[in-house]
Amino acid sequence: MSQKLKKSLLYWLVLSPLVIVILFPFAVMFVTAVRPREELFVYPPRWTFSEFRWDNFVDMWEKTNFGGALFNSLYVSVAATALALLLSIPAAYALSRYRFHGKGVYRNFLLMTQMMSPIVLVLGLFRLMVQFGLVNNLNSLVLTYAAFNMAFTIWMLQSYFNTIPRELEEAAWMDGASHLVSLTKIFLPLAVPAMVVTGIFTFINSWNEFVLALTMIRSQDQYTLPVQIFSQVAGRYQVEWHHVMAGTVLATVPVAIVFSWLQRYLIRGMALGAVK
Amino acid sequence: MKSALRSTPLLMILPSLALAMFIIGYPIVDLAWTSLQEVSRFGQLRGFTGFDNFAEVFTDQLFYDSLWRTVIWTVAVVGGTLLISLPVALILNDDFIGRGVARVIIMLPWAISLTMTAVVWRWGLNGRAGLLNATLMDLGIMSEPIEWLATAPLAFTAEILIGILVSIPFTTTIFLGGLSSLPQDSYEASMVDGASWWDQFRFITLPLMRPFINIAIVLNVIYVFNSLPIIWVMTEGGPANGTDILVTYLYKLAFRFGQLGKASAISLIMFGVLLVFTILYVVMVMRAERDESDLTDEQGAGDVAEA
Amino acid sequence: MKSLSWKAMAASALAIGVLGAMAPAQAQTKVDFTVAEYSSKTGPYFEEVAAAFEKANPDIDINIQVVPWDTLLQRLTTDIAGGTAPDISIIGTRWLLDFAAQGVAEPVDAYLTPEFKSTFIDTFMAPSVIDGKIMGLPVAASARAMMINMDLFEKAGATPPTNWDEFYEAAKKLAALPDTFAFGLQGKEIETDAYYYYSLWTHGGDILKADGTSGLDTPEALEAANLYKKMLDEGLTQPSPTNYNREEVFNLFKQGKVGMIFTFPMLIPQIKAEAPDLNYKIMPFPEGKAKATYGVTDTLMMFANSDVKEAAWKFIEFAYKDEYRTTFDHGEGFLPVTKGVAAEEYYSTDPDIAGFAAGLPYAKFAPTIANWEEIADVTVRTMQQIYLGQVTPEEGLKAAAAEINGIRGK
Repeated sequence: MSQKLKKSLLYWLVLSPLVIVILFPFAVMFVTAVRPREELFVYPPRWTFSEFRWDNFVDMWEKTNFGGALFNSLYVSVAATALALLLSIPAAYALSRYRFHGKGVYRNFLLMTQMMSPIVLVLGLFRLMVQFGLVNNLNSLVLTYAAFNMAFTIWMLQSYFNTIPRELEEAAWMDGASHLVSLTKIFLPLAVPAMVVTGIFTFINSWNEFVLALTMIRSQDQYTLPVQIFSQVAGRYQVEWHHVMAGTVLATVPVAIVFSWLQRYLIRGMALGAVK
Repeated sequence: MKSALRSTPLLMILPSLALAMFIIGYPIVDLAWTSLQEVSRFGQLRGFTGFDNFAEVFTDQLFYDSLWRTVIWTVAVVGGTLLISLPVALILNDDFIGRGVARVIIMLPWAISLTMTAVVWRWGLNGRAGLLNATLMDLGIMSEPIEWLATAPLAFTAEILIGILVSIPFTTTIFLGGLSSLPQDSYEASMVDGASWWDQFRFITLPLMRPFINIAIVLNVIYVFNSLPIIWVMTEGGPANGTDILVTYLYKLAFRFGQLGKASAISLIMFGVLLVFTILYVVMVMRAERDESDLTDEQGAGDVAEA
Repeated sequence: MKSLSWKAMAASALAIGVLGAMAPAQAQTKVDFTVAEYSSKTGPYFEEVAAAFEKANPDIDINIQVVPWDTLLQRLTTDIAGGTAPDISIIGTRWLLDFAAQGVAEPVDAYLTPEFKSTFIDTFMAPSVIDGKIMGLPVAASARAMMINMDLFEKAGATPPTNWDEFYEAAKKLAALPDTFAFGLQGKEIETDAYYYYSLWTHGGDILKADGTSGLDTPEALEAANLYKKMLDEGLTQPSPTNYNREEVFNLFKQGKVGMIFTFPMLIPQIKAEAPDLNYKIMPFPEGKAKATYGVTDTLMMFANSDVKEAAWKFIEFAYKDEYRTTFDHGEGFLPVTKGVAAEEYYSTDPDIAGFAAGLPYAKFAPTIANWEEIADVTVRTMQQIYLGQVTPEEGLKAAAAEINGIRGK
């Protein structure tokens, strides 16, 4: 047996308890989503079921306005990510490249913004959004998600930017290039993997956020996915579990796909930092 | 040139600062304001009562119980996450067959919102209808189903384990980032010197990973301390307030019992606790490390220590 | 001259046309209606009613917002705090007193015509009356009853019980069956206290004594709690009731594993869809010293701050027409709150619904008092401690009564 094969088997063995525990809820979700409704409560509970009711997905899509919620989630997540990146990149650049008064204060302030759970701030946030007339407007979520994610994106971007050697830009300046040119032609291309990774973190956090969406968004046609799915469960007399699980499965698939890209970028992005 | 250089960085941080102060600063001020007033159940402010709300909090036994439980919750989840994430990151950083698949799987808990994760686990942990008990019994590991969420100790343990599970993707990613940026030459040089794997880990990996471990600790403590969905969905802080942490207790006070003044006071106390923790941690742990280490991320670690 | 007048005519025609097109839009009144979600049918049902209303009243626009029950109170709190409260909303009647006390609810006596008022069944109207003023209209109602699994009873050779002694005997026989639980006891989350009240009331006790202090420290209350604890300890209930909320107890019943539960009429449509072969029967609560059942209503409330009350009221009257109420009540499985629907044959001939409706003459409701949620929470917590064996029923109930009296300021 080759070294690599032996090593791989060992690693998978070590990882297997974790892998099983991680995959268990997904298996539960999937199995509940595809079974007929009459078989939800058989005793004893079984993994097997009589037929694949793919209809559950279709039903759920129609009944719960899944398409609409999906679109809302996409809009909010993309916009929040774009906004966060737009504001974070210059800030991270400044933190990485410059020394200035108040640098430490600014960093500490950012860390403090993470310390308040949104649940605690819900009433104040709501009043703020009322002032702006943004209640039931998806843009209230865009602003809020961008703000709450910023500390993390700035920190991540700064760490990455620190790994991009100053010398590259300084060389360009010595050759007579202006700051702007060195920024766009030399720095940004190298920073792309960092921005992609950070962007994806923000995207996922926004995609899955629940409490703020629940508070700010009032009408069903503006619901984002987590709220839409949760509304199928919360406080109803009849919970249609097969629909709930079908909805969750569908909400998870895009993110899982994004992950398989992400892990590739992770290697590339960080390897870049390792090359000195 | 000099003045332009001076103001450029400030201009660069201005937009982000403005957004943060607005969106986050305003509610915090609103909260502080509310905590000093008597508040009707619908948030109508009825006039200053000074520190009455705080006095009520400090004489409430349930507050102290929740506080203690919050500490246990945070330490257990963050500790457990770190203990698991570091070896997992080490493995995932190495080249082996199926590494890509493994990475995607480890990241999967992040793909579902916390609330849905809790809902699915609750469904699976159900005593009589849940697939976990069914599976364990089929495998012969158990003969009687366990009522996971019936008693506080067992329920709390289950909640902590799930909390660890959902924190692993985030922490592993931070560690992976750190590991990939480690300089290969140190390892090569040490191997020439005949260092064992464990020596390499202790004397090269661990010290160089410290800044990443620190950030993982600080951020995780903050997120876990404030985390509502898991405990809320699984037990709503019950049975008999046995799994209540500060944030679930606060939620009940605010939105079930309509005691917004007291809830605001507790929120500020929570904020204060986290602030004190972060300051202490940064000052004691990170400053000490900054003096020893010499790293690309030094700038980041150092700035947090400077005030 | 010619062209000028032609242009002038065209211009004025255009102006009139534009004004004409704008006029109805400007005159549209918008009514915001927050609907609490009972099931996936609730939203579509109200949308239909709204659409029909809008057709008949093109100048009024009804804006429906469906909110899940679990988050309804949070939502309304945030709305009122933020100044964006709706014009009408469905709320739990148990919250009505707090809303009324804060001046949020609008009394509707002035709007109620005598005919409209007479369409309501008095028993269900009563809980919405506070200080002699009608603060809202009943929109949904249920009474509870016992549901038993006839197949299990046959297998065990037990007879359906009419009082607590018979209940205990039947439970012993049912528990002897393998893999079966005699009595489904709820010990988790909302209405854990209600499950106890069923026993409390039928043993002759009450939530509040005549003087307004808590009724939990009475001998009847103790007897009621002791009975549950005894059955728990003797293995007559499912193990660990604190792991079972209302839905989960009912799920156990749907699985055919439980002989007797206490439930509401809304379970019937669920059983038909999810466990069609289940052979169930509806019976009144076992009698102790008294007959009793738990009546629950939800209230349709108008907000005092609304500036479109006339339009909102028009919609309310429209929505209570028999044709709509019957769809709603049948679909969700509720008991009728209007006499028109109650007169339907269905409610006296359908054995299931009739079984629930039979309890109405002696239905008890949750007291309309301030801080009800907090008080209920004390009872829930106490019952949980009793079920877990953390306190004896006597200690627990005494402590609960003291705490409740403290909250009530007595």
